[in-house]
Amino acid sequence: MSISDIVLSIADNKQMLGLRYAEWATRAPSLEADIAAAAMGLDDLGHSRVLYGCLEPLGADPRGPERESDPASLRALAYFDQPWTEWAQFVAANAVLDTAFTVVIEACVNGSVEVLQHRLRKMLMEERYHFLHGRSWLKSGIGAEPLNRAWTEAVEWFGPPDGEVAALHREGKLSMGPPELLAKLEEQLEVKSPDVRVDWAKWDPNRRRSKPGAIDEQTFGMLRGLEEKKFAPSSAATKEA
Amino acid sequence: MGPRSLTSYKRVSGDAIEYEVFARKTRAESLHQVGSVVAPDDDLAMAYARATYDEERWCEMAIVRKEHVIELWQPGEAQ
Repeated sequence: MSISDIVLSIADNKQMLGLRYAEWATRAPSLEADIAAAAMGLDDLGHSRVLYGCLEPLGADPRGPERESDPASLRALAYFDQPWTEWAQFVAANAVLDTAFTVVIEACVNGSVEVLQHRLRKMLMEERYHFLHGRSWLKSGIGAEPLNRAWTEAVEWFGPPDGEVAALHREGKLSMGPPELLAKLEEQLEVKSPDVRVDWAKWDPNRRRSKPGAIDEQTFGMLRGLEEKKFAPSSAATKEA
Repeated sequence: MGPRSLTSYKRVSGDAIEYEVFARKTRAESLHQVGSVVAPDDDLAMAYARATYDEERWCEMAIVRKEHVIELWQPGEAQ
């Protein structure tokens, strides 16, 4: 495991977060929240592109050809496997997971890897508004289930106390390790994490999650451009025109 | 699954606050009103203002609670 694996994990998660946000651009509780969902979706999709672009200069791109055929090869959290059906799921992801990703980006920016220091800094400014949005909706009160799930997946995503994130912290490549990341997340959200017990023996260090599964077929098709092709004119129709 | 059928939240609740949004593109320009947003608190109003009015490259953006604007006179009133 290397810093590239962490960057790829942030990129895949931000890509999925952006897509799930975008799905709520016409279903949020208010017009303003619709627009915010669309804007945050665009931000996170853009961030994922920047993060994928960091893999080459980092010298190791962990992406393999299996990403074209196996949705389980993507390194996104289980929280994004299926479209959200409740606004509370959006809020929990917006407040807890989006902020967890930002906290790790902050650890990259304040770490010793130059390309990450420079390229990821602007994201922190844009993420401020995601954070304000998530925290405000969180304060308005949502159900415990999506919130507990988001906290659990955030803790899992930070990784075990003796894992590679902790090692990268010791090497100085990340300015924070798992306990500091969790403390920072709690400080930002002004709440304590629920008591999360993770069975690290069942944890997948590549996907940084314990749950098996993968994103839904339609979303996977969309990521590969297959959904878009359904609406493209056939080659015969193009020739006739 | 119709629009907004999944939540019980309303477009504007009783405690919603109206904010005026101001912005400018250059330091030489004055801040001017670019629109308004409705939100229950300042944090959400900032997030909404940024999301709604980000089509320009503003060098500054600010929001003000509408109730904090002190009017000197209104259209049709003598100065």
